[in-house]
Amino acid sequence: MMMLLLPHREEEEEGGAAGRRRFPINDNADLLAEVLGRLDGRSLAVAGCVCRLWSAVGRREAVWEAVCHRHVAVGRAGAAGGTRSVVAALGGYRRLYRLCIGPALDRLAGVRRQGPAVSSSSSAARHVSLSLALSLFSIDCYERLGGVGGRQQQPPASLLFLCKPVDVS
Amino acid sequence: MFTQIRVCSAYPFVIFGFSVPLSGVPQEEKEMKRDHQDAGGGGRGDWYAVAEQEKGKASMGTDDGVDELLAALGYKVRSSDMADVAQKLEQLEMAMESSAAANDDVLFAHPAFDSVHYNPSDISAWVDNILSELNAPPPLPQQPPPPPAASLRHQFDLSPAGTEQYSIGTVDHYSPADVYELKPQSSTASLRDRKRLKVCSAFPSSSTPTDVAAQQVVVVDSQEAGIRLVHALMACAEAVQKDNLKAAGAIVKQISVLAASQGGAMRKVAGYFAEALAHRIYRPQSPRGVSCSSTHESTAFDDMLHQHFYESCPYLKFGHFTANQAILEAFAGCRRVHVVDFGMRQGLQWPALLQALALRPGGPPSFRLTGIGPPQPDNSDSLQEVGWKLAQLAETIRVDFRYRGFVATSLADLEPYLLLGAETDGRGVEDDEPEVVAVNSVFELHRLLARSGALEKVLGTILAVRPRIVTVVEQEANHNGRTFLDRFTEALHYYSTMFDSLEGSTSPPSSPEARRHGQAMSEMYLGRQIYNVVACEGAERTERHEALAQWRARMCRAGFESVPIGSNAFKQASMLLALFDGGEGFRVEENDGCLSLGWHTRPLIATSAWRAAGDPLRTSASS
Repeated sequence: MMMLLLPHREEEEEGGAAGRRRFPINDNADLLAEVLGRLDGRSLAVAGCVCRLWSAVGRREAVWEAVCHRHVAVGRAGAAGGTRSVVAALGGYRRLYRLCIGPALDRLAGVRRQGPAVSSSSSAARHVSLSLALSLFSIDCYERLGGVGGRQQQPPASLLFLCKPVDVS
Repeated sequence: MFTQIRVCSAYPFVIFGFSVPLSGVPQEEKEMKRDHQDAGGGGRGDWYAVAEQEKGKASMGTDDGVDELLAALGYKVRSSDMADVAQKLEQLEMAMESSAAANDDVLFAHPAFDSVHYNPSDISAWVDNILSELNAPPPLPQQPPPPPAASLRHQFDLSPAGTEQYSIGTVDHYSPADVYELKPQSSTASLRDRKRLKVCSAFPSSSTPTDVAAQQVVVVDSQEAGIRLVHALMACAEAVQKDNLKAAGAIVKQISVLAASQGGAMRKVAGYFAEALAHRIYRPQSPRGVSCSSTHESTAFDDMLHQHFYESCPYLKFGHFTANQAILEAFAGCRRVHVVDFGMRQGLQWPALLQALALRPGGPPSFRLTGIGPPQPDNSDSLQEVGWKLAQLAETIRVDFRYRGFVATSLADLEPYLLLGAETDGRGVEDDEPEVVAVNSVFELHRLLARSGALEKVLGTILAVRPRIVTVVEQEANHNGRTFLDRFTEALHYYSTMFDSLEGSTSPPSSPEARRHGQAMSEMYLGRQIYNVVACEGAERTERHEALAQWRARMCRAGFESVPIGSNAFKQASMLLALFDGGEGFRVEENDGCLSLGWHTRPLIATSAWRAAGDPLRTSASS
């Protein structure tokens, strides 16, 4: 059982308590969601393995939306509501992170790790923009749509270029 | 060595040969010797004695004692001299080692490598030359190395376009300090790499063990062979141009041998070019069906190759994303939009545009798409399927979407009224809102150059539709020159760079099958283009690429003016490329309003945007 420890206050001390008030985080899912929304993608996925409640909260779209927005450069403050509905239609923020933003961030981190050999002219491009991620996401979603008869031709591979292991030699 | 190459230029195999003329030879011979000792059951002291025995067996009936196998590579060494040459090479290596021990940094900057070598194919004289210089380094005149003795072209005259990149042959040769800016460790490591490369390169024919052993002796220097390979290709093309098919046929065989000694991109490119040349030389009167004509029963295969090309490398994605951005900006503020796509294929360009329109401030417009595609021989209606998929996607993201597909053998068959076609939805209110049209062409316009007048007709049709913007994505190369040799040279450079970029932007050999498969498919896709450029003529030669400057001239003549593509597209393209593995090699450049994507210094694909000149409706927020 996860506990948050709050500083005890003498005047609110209940009889029998040892002097510290315990606040189980699992009693308040919204607070948990707020906390989890501040993680990065990998940690959030790991947190989803802790227990059933965390797994359920960790799958909330709002949580992943917060994660995506935190890690992505939003060009203009577009209509947030509009973005939400489009992303939901295309498959959701969790999927967006898993397929596009996560691999892209990994790829860029790998490139950065390769050291200062990166030319300064392209350093401005070393981040992922929401519009680019959404474009790639929409193409992937399109590829997953079946044909007229519902037959699936080939597994969608337009995002394969992102999933290649980064050569950090 | 390869780090050095990237610094100098985009053509490793060409440059390297000139900038390090035969310097690798002694190293390679020595390593060959070690290999031979290892392979041939070690402990044998006199390598050259063994070699002499092998030579004796292998070179029965050579003309005036010149070693046959070495002669195939352009070196003239008498069999009787082989032992002598080998001994001198050992001496040379020991001398180099001692000088290297003394001063590591100038290993390759040694004056011996700057000396003028006449007739480098005469190994024995060359080695003498170097040895005498090592012992007494003289002041050296700086002149370009003279041509090899074989009957190949004197100077590898690299193509006129962008000669500053190819200055290696003449200018850069003499500044060893610049050229050899590699560390000694990397040089020895790369030599070892080359040795490994050599040892495991496959040979076309190795029937007897003695032949194999003898062949190990023969492989001298992969970089040198690379130079010879390029020379052979050029010589073959020249022979074809002069209609000297017998000579061309002989050279084509040589090319396959040389190509086998190369690795990676060079081998594949040479293979495709050699095959195309062979078809051109030996084909029967009716051309073979392998993709000479585009309307062929393998359109499904074509589509599959196209799909893999889309996935494995960024060129198509770059074209799509930049064109979409230009179209998006042109459609700002419009409530009804219509896009005409000249090459629908799988419709991979449009999901991103639909998504961007859905998210634009002010909400999505009514979107109409007209897709044009070639006739499908097996009656499958791929155009309709693509339209259906796009409609599904548009429905999920709530964009009002209408689609119509047109089957046309050639774009010149289109008429304006077909494209404008009245809407039969019965929505009377639509009449108030004018429909804004965009025309998009990705790799389609160059095919029209095969028939005279076709391009002018299509451009006229486009003007008649009165589009707000016309986006054109084309290859940045001139493969439509007047002479075959010009086209061949240009194509050789262009596709070498393309193949280099395919190699350079994939991960090390431990890549999963899917990626290798994708790369192989992309190479096949490019191989078909190579075949078309080299082996086809007349109306069948549809891959008539032209450079951006030429397209500019054509569009301006036809009555269009350029719309500069904004910085948003540039940024998005740069970000996209940063995501590609090995994206360091790709360069996005802005060229007078047009964006181009290239590999290192060579632009390969260019996107440009146009509108009708003097159009009073220009409201797009350009510049």
